[in-house]
Order: sequence, then C-alpha cells, then structure tokens
Amino acid sequence: MTKTTSGVMLALLFAGPPPAGAQQRIEQRWPLEPHGSVRIVNPFGTIRVMGWDSDSLGVSARLAPRIAKFSTTGDTSVRKLWVDVSPQAGEAGRADLTVHVPRAVNLWVKSIAADIAVEGVDGVLDLNSVSGAIHVLGTPQDVTAETMLGDVEIAGGTGRARVKTVSGGVLLRGASADLGASTLSGSIVVRAAGWQRGGTGVQRGKFESVTGGIHFDGELGRGGVVELESQGGSIEIRVPANTIVDFDALTIAGTITNTLSREQPRSGAGTSGAKLRFSTGVGGAQVTVRSFKGNILLEPK
Amino acid sequence: MMCSEMEERLNEYVDGTLDARDHAAVTAHLAGCAGCRGAVEELRALVAGARALPRSIEPDRDLWTEVSGRIVQRATWNVQRARWRLVFAAAAMLALAVALYRLASRPAVPTAEERWTAVQVDYERATRELSGLLAAQRGRLQPGTVALVERNLGIIEAALSDCRAALARDPANPELRSLFAAASRQEVELLQWATRVAAS
Repeated sequence: MTKTTSGVMLALLFAGPPPAGAQQRIEQRWPLEPHGSVRIVNPFGTIRVMGWDSDSLGVSARLAPRIAKFSTTGDTSVRKLWVDVSPQAGEAGRADLTVHVPRAVNLWVKSIAADIAVEGVDGVLDLNSVSGAIHVLGTPQDVTAETMLGDVEIAGGTGRARVKTVSGGVLLRGASADLGASTLSGSIVVRAAGWQRGGTGVQRGKFESVTGGIHFDGELGRGGVVELESQGGSIEIRVPANTIVDFDALTIAGTITNTLSREQPRSGAGTSGAKLRFSTGVGGAQVTVRSFKGNILLEPK
Repeated sequence: MMCSEMEERLNEYVDGTLDARDHAAVTAHLAGCAGCRGAVEELRALVAGARALPRSIEPDRDLWTEVSGRIVQRATWNVQRARWRLVFAAAAMLALAVALYRLASRPAVPTAEERWTAVQVDYERATRELSGLLAAQRGRLQPGTVALVERNLGIIEAALSDCRAALARDPANPELRSLFAAASRQEVELLQWATRVAAS
C-alpha cells in the first residue's frame, strides 16, 4: 500500500442522531501494518475479531445509542478501538464489534461482560474478560486468555497457550505443543491431537484446579512433560494404549484407578490416599499427577 | 533460572522497598516460579551475609606484634631481606583478611524448614495485604463479581483448611506442602485479580 493510499481512510460513519430505539451503526477502515498491534476495549456485548489477507483494519459496530460511544486512535502500526460506557450500564450499554485485522497482528482485547471471539489471527493474543466467554480458533503464535466467570475455548494449534479462569470451564483442543490452564472451580478439558492430525502431542502442559475436574484426552509428545494438579477435583487421563510414558501419581485422600498398565496403586502412608508410579518405556512423556482428595483415573482411549 | 525481567523487582523485594501492591505481585509470582524463589533465597542469604560482615577488618593484634617484633629483632638484616619480610607479612595479612571476609560472607543456606516458613509468611502477608486492598475497593465491584469472589475464596479456604489439617498430622510431607502452596497461590491470584478489576 502506498503512502498516499495508506493515508486514505475509508470511513462510512453514520453520524447524526439515530432514531429512538435504533442502534448506532459504524463502518470504518484504516491502513494497518501486517505485524501491527490492535487494542480493543468493549465492556458489554460482543467482540469478534477475524484475520484477513489485507493490510488494513476494518470495524463494523452496532452500539446502543447515547449510552455507548465508539472511539479510536492510532496509526499504521498501532490501532486502538474502544467503547466508552459506564460499568453500571450493563447490557443497556452493549456494543457488538466485528473487527477484521491482518492475520499476523498482535491483539489485546479487554471486556467486562462482552464475549470475545478471535478467528484466524496468527500473532500474539492477550484476551481478558471479567464474565465474558473467550473463543479462539486458528493457529496463533501465543495465547493468554483470562476470564473470571466465562468459559474459554481454544481450538486449532497454538504455539503456546495460557488460560486462567475462576469458575469458567476451559476447553483446549487441537494440535498445541505448550499448554497451561488454571482454574479454581471450573473444569479443564484437554483434547490434544497427535501427529495424525498435524500435531506433536502435548510437549509441555500444566493444568491445575482447586475443585474443578481435569480431563486430559489425547496424545502426549515424546519427551513431553505434563503436570496435572487438583485439590478436590477428579483427574482423568485417557491416552492411546501404546503411549510411552513415565507416570507418577499421588493422592492424599482420594483413589487411583489405572487400566492403562498392569501396575496397581499402593496405599498412601496414612489411612487413606494412594500412589502409583510406572514406566511403559524409555524416552516417553513424563506425567505427574497430584491431588488432595480428588480421584485419579488413568485409562487407554 | 530467574526470570530476567524480575531481576530489579526481586532485589527491591528482598530490600523491602516495594509498595504493597508490587510486593503482593512479586509474592504471587514467586509462588509459581521456582527459579525466582531460588534467586530470592540467594539474595536473602547474600544480604544476611553482608550484614554479618564487620564494618572494617582490623589486623590481628598478636600477629602484628609478632611481625613488628621480628622486624625490630632483625633490624640488622640487610634492607633487601627486610623488605621481603615486610612483603610476606603484608601478603599474609591480606590473605588473613580475605579469609575472614569469605568466612563472614559465606551465605547461610536456609534449611527446608526455613524456606517453608518463609513461603508461609510470604503468602500470609500477601493475602492480608490484598484482602485489605480489596475490602477498600469492594464498592467498585459488581455485586455478581463480589459474590463470585467470595464463593471462590470460600472454596480455597476449605481446600487450605483440609491441607492444614493434613499438615498437622504430617507436617514435613513435601507433597502436602506443595498442594498447600498451590492453593495459597490460587488465593493470592484471585485476590489480585479482584483488586485489579476493582481498580480498572
């Protein structure tokens, strides 16, 4: 894009007072470098971000009139979009944003209750909400997703993902090598694709909860290191029967059930609890499981 | 290995010059980062060693008497020999001073119990400070968020209570300690999150 054309802003702003009850509509477009940065703040409603093969950013928005106000600033390397609305406005102040960005941008999004959906963006994603859900589809380089109450789903194949919720559920599926998820009372489900689906299995994983259950279903990378830890939630691991793994599990007050190998757990040091250690071969994944009172299940898929 | 971006803050953390919020943030980071915990232990040992050092190292009185006496006794020696003696004496004193310094500055390696105590103290302090901060900002949170935080703090407290009871029966169990530390870290992170939301 030339400097002249990059200076041209295609803006179709339906300014002027909207009719009572009608939503304010905004359609705008700005030039943006392929590896630029985009920051979006929208407290209520929805935020949908899609990668496209164009060196420009386009936004299509519908806002509650007079309650929510759309603003933007930036240049060709950084563009910030935000919606001004009182935190007390709630759904009355909702805005629905659809934003198209160059695929390789780095993206930072923040909301209070707005759901966040990102599709086809390959840069670094930093997504944060209080009660909104977060969905990511694609192959971003790195994802950090945090939401207190909402659910998080990351699908595709991230290089690295770190997810944190308080009570929201976490679903990680696809061919990702480096995964981390932490929740207090939500559940964590990992469906890890192996080489048959273009992945390498999980090379590095750390999953932890306080009361939420943790379910790992999929392939472990050779030489991978995976840790699963819960205070009171159950931990279930299902891997292919021929998986090479060094397995080390311990529960202080729960039980361990193993049908992946012949080894059976031994009782803990006290009156309750159990521990189990075995290896099915050399050079496999190392899986460490720790629970206080949640039960541990290991079985073939 | 310590996180490179934490170096400056860890120094301030050990020096006690961080404000309450930064202190809590570093404490929370330490909960999940063995490398930085190790660095903090080394820094604390270094500081303790440095504090134990004398402000100046005086030469040993008897040694100096002996050296000076011999110098006087051997005053008839030729000048060249006397100079070498002085050089040797000075070298001996320097070696003694270095040995004293190294002895005094050798870091005292904390025991596992000391480390465990330090971890508990850090968590308690971070939790107390963040709870105070959250209480002051509570009015800025949505009622639903307050309810969510309180419900989950209750969940963590129940988990910590279980761990404490188990630790009372088996106080040196490293697995129990690890689970206790994990739940404590979750509590600190939840409080951090809530205070961050309230402040935003």
